[in-house]
Amino acid sequence: MSRKPAAGTLRASAALPGSAVGGTSSSSALPTLSSDDMCPVCKTIRYLNKDMEFLINPECYHSMCVACVNRLFNEGPNQCPYAGCHKTLRRKGFRSAFFGDLSVEREVDLRRRVALVFNQVEDDFETLEAYNDYLQQVEDLTFDLVNGSESKRREVEATLQQYEAEHKADIERNRKAGREADEQSRRRLAAERDAARQRRLDAMREAEEEKLERVRNREAEIDSLAKGQPIGTQFKRRGQANRALEAAVNATATATAGLSGSLADVGKLSIRGLKEKKKAPAPEGPYDPFGGMDFATSRFKFVPGTLSHPSIERYKTDPQHIQHITGGYGFEEYTARALFEAFAGLGVFIEDEKEVGIGLSAAEVASMSAGIAAVGDRMDLD
Amino acid sequence: MATEDARYRETSQYRLWSFSPSKLAAMRETTNAAARASISERLLANPPPPSAAAAISAPTSSANTPDPENGGNSTPNPNALPEFLTPADELHLVSFYTSELLRAATEVFNFPDHIKTTAAIFFKRFYVTNSIMTYPPTEMMIVALFFGCKAEGMFMDVREFVQRFGKKNNEEILAGEFLLCQGLRFSLDVKHPFRALRGAIMKLASFDDIDRKRLDDAEQRAREILRFAPIMTDAYFHYTPSQIMMAALSLADRGLAERLIQDTFHFVAPPETGSGADTPDPNAPVPAAPSAAKQKPGEDKAAIIGSHLRDKVLGAIEACRDILSKELPERRDHWTNKSFIKTQISPLRKKLTKCRDPDRWNLVELQRARREQAIKKGGSEDGDPEDRGLADGAVFGEPLGQPLKKRKVEVKKEEDPFGGAL
Repeated sequence: MSRKPAAGTLRASAALPGSAVGGTSSSSALPTLSSDDMCPVCKTIRYLNKDMEFLINPECYHSMCVACVNRLFNEGPNQCPYAGCHKTLRRKGFRSAFFGDLSVEREVDLRRRVALVFNQVEDDFETLEAYNDYLQQVEDLTFDLVNGSESKRREVEATLQQYEAEHKADIERNRKAGREADEQSRRRLAAERDAARQRRLDAMREAEEEKLERVRNREAEIDSLAKGQPIGTQFKRRGQANRALEAAVNATATATAGLSGSLADVGKLSIRGLKEKKKAPAPEGPYDPFGGMDFATSRFKFVPGTLSHPSIERYKTDPQHIQHITGGYGFEEYTARALFEAFAGLGVFIEDEKEVGIGLSAAEVASMSAGIAAVGDRMDLD
Repeated sequence: MATEDARYRETSQYRLWSFSPSKLAAMRETTNAAARASISERLLANPPPPSAAAAISAPTSSANTPDPENGGNSTPNPNALPEFLTPADELHLVSFYTSELLRAATEVFNFPDHIKTTAAIFFKRFYVTNSIMTYPPTEMMIVALFFGCKAEGMFMDVREFVQRFGKKNNEEILAGEFLLCQGLRFSLDVKHPFRALRGAIMKLASFDDIDRKRLDDAEQRAREILRFAPIMTDAYFHYTPSQIMMAALSLADRGLAERLIQDTFHFVAPPETGSGADTPDPNAPVPAAPSAAKQKPGEDKAAIIGSHLRDKVLGAIEACRDILSKELPERRDHWTNKSFIKTQISPLRKKLTKCRDPDRWNLVELQRARREQAIKKGGSEDGDPEDRGLADGAVFGEPLGQPLKKRKVEVKKEEDPFGGAL
């Protein structure tokens, strides 16, 4: 009897990669493990070996028992023992299937592989629409890979590899970002768990102490009653109760502080992660209420104390006018302002600027356009 | 670009109320045409005013109308439109009322210069985008004066204010205030050349070789010119306050103005950092200003205080001087001259009474109507957006936008957001 089992009896799939068996055209013809109590290779049945375990190799998804794997592949790579399957398998590639249905197992594997390559997230796209288009594209590829014909699969595989090669850096970055996100959520969960545990412990300790306290108080009360001084203990007890309450409040405060601190830590981390992904906005300078306007005068120099006017002098000396002087507005300010107003806008030529723009003169523009027109005419003549 | 000029370009006076002469003329024409269109529409839509109706019913009274062509026109056809004012007529009337405003501010209140000037400029600006046929100039004049006081920080009691004019009712002023604000596009800061003149004189006084008497005379004369000439002409629309000041100074004492300009734009070609030091006290430690100036490269300096710019500035001042010389303070008498008023202003006024806007002429009524309208519409819109859009937007070439937007929202509200019934 041949060692190779007949594919037909085992409902081996024609859609499996590399399986060349024609005729069995059903789409999901992979063997199901649950019903299999017999190794299709060595025909051992579960009745004989209670611990029989089936392994598959993602090369061809043909299942066989551990004993067969060990026997066939211990000495290095070997051909798949299934009839008509010419895949070369290695010991290392074998694993136990997670799903009972091997077609599902295969699809999951393929999807995992595709997801490793196409690992963009929504934040990488400008619009939701673009992201959805991308998802659609990926799903099309995946479907071809899972359900397509042999040639189609090969094509898709080639695309996949090409894309992987081209976008190595992006993929790596996204993978890292994903890992970081995982790491962060794990850390946050751990922190929350820790905090919860801590709170629980605190609460327990608190309850314990309370109980102890109560017992102690009771004893003290009895003692004091025995000694005949009930009021003091009352006070004491109340005081102690207060202190206990205070302590409890303190404890919860520190607990929440610690919790929020750890949460804030985690939050900060996640923000940092976000910033790495997105481009950080350019740092803004300090707020300038004047929008970057230059207040240094360029047309004149104002030297405080050099300029004056008879009417200003009058205000400085005349007792009748001196009463108008108030704080906050000095004569220098007035002089500076007057000087500024004398020179502000001296070089603003409204007619030119409103007609043709700042820095140009209407006459110049007219002559320029005339020149252009003249050149154009000459060119026309030529 | 000089920092002083950059700062002036930030002002609302430059951004909103500075125009080239051709643009200003075009705006006045647009305003006039818009007013003509809206007024004729209203005159045709509404029954003719009672006085005109009386004139039609009783042919004898038409003989009393002083304007023969109008009387002749209106008798056969009750729907005939009156003769409208031309843009030139409007400008003439606005100038006349501006002079009246200045006279009232001086004779009735004796306001300081900047208040008078601000009020007058408000008045002039208002009638750039609003026709004198639409809103009554005499009332708006008082409104402008009252509002000018407020804008310059002098707060008068409105009752006292109207009393000085011999009126009892202050409603008119309050009704016109917001209208004026709208017409001014809410830019209430007017830059004046008065303080600039003081600055220039102080600067000139720091040159040792100028006689004090000469300076005082020049200042007095220039101030006198500034009080009248730039307000009566369009100088505020076409020139910056410093240019107006220089022009007035040049009218008062040409030598002084030129000396100041020469001194300011003293920079001569090849840059040596020490060469720009003929300012009064170059060695004195001045915070920030000179260090910033020194850091600028030579070509930049040439663009700020070079001779090329000096010639251009002198040209602008010369042009401004020409404008100002048309309305020297001596012309003040001309505007109050009785024969002048009789021959030139009275006919225009008569024309104006015929072609004024029936809906807008009474400011109090107008405000009440607008308020009622606003209440009727649930307070969603104030005033009538079409007319405001026309008055302001049509002239500036950009509609106010806000009313349009609001209307769009309202239309949307009426539609079922989930589409029609199935």
